[in-house]
Amino acid sequence: MTRIIACFALVLLPAWAQEIKFPASFEKLAAKAVETVDLKLDSSTLKTAGAFLSSKEPDQAKAKKLVSGLKGVYVKSFEFAKEGEYAESDLEAIRSQLNAPEWVQTVKVRSKKDGESVDIYFKKQGEATTGMVIISAEPTELTVVRIDGTIDLEQLGELGGQFGIPNVHMEHGDKKLRTTGK
Amino acid sequence: MSRLDDELRQALRPAAPSDGFAERVLARAAARQPNAVRRPGLRWVAAAAAILALFVVWLDREHDRKVATESAKEQVVLALRITAEKLQLVREKVQQVNQ
Repeated sequence: MTRIIACFALVLLPAWAQEIKFPASFEKLAAKAVETVDLKLDSSTLKTAGAFLSSKEPDQAKAKKLVSGLKGVYVKSFEFAKEGEYAESDLEAIRSQLNAPEWVQTVKVRSKKDGESVDIYFKKQGEATTGMVIISAEPTELTVVRIDGTIDLEQLGELGGQFGIPNVHMEHGDKKLRTTGK
Repeated sequence: MSRLDDELRQALRPAAPSDGFAERVLARAAARQPNAVRRPGLRWVAAAAAILALFVVWLDREHDRKVATESAKEQVVLALRITAEKLQLVREKVQQVNQ
């Protein structure tokens, strides 16, 4: 019996360990923020939204196709009234979880002049990209986006201009980001 | 044989009903008639009320479903918008570095 439990633990532990969690300190940040966006869209919510999007309307059909590959979308965004409301340790709490071998950091931008930083990580399983995390830190704004599932940035780019979504294009191969204005 | 005939004749001989038998039968028939008419009516009312109740419940659930679906769609669009905005920010930063 002990062996069976141990086997279950070995199977389940990596799956649990791979899940990127928002640190507890984010709850305190929400109290400091003047504006907070907290979105937790699990697969059932995404399915519900996908079902509502029309397959006949071209724009909605693109959004539907994009959403169909996603298993979860989690967004935490804080806007503060003044600078210095969040600490570097808040960001490190997430970055440290992304040191696992399946996560590949594709973009790392640091701007001392503007006090901004952006990190983009992709989760790779073989050739497939099965997740993405964006950490964007500005002096008075902190945003973390976690997407589980297959996200096609080209499809996201095709939605540009619709639903208030800006144009974004991802080039294949070198993973360089190429975007166009709104 | 004649004895059997006599016994049968005796048993099946016509007998007059007791006094007031016909009045009692008519009185009972008259008393039951209104109920016989009312009961099917009540059944229809009960059935209509049940159907109406089911329709109201269905409408309520349908409304909740539409609200939930609309909310889910708005949340998905907001999430995609934030994602795209952050990707655009990266693009701007990369362009600044390249310049």
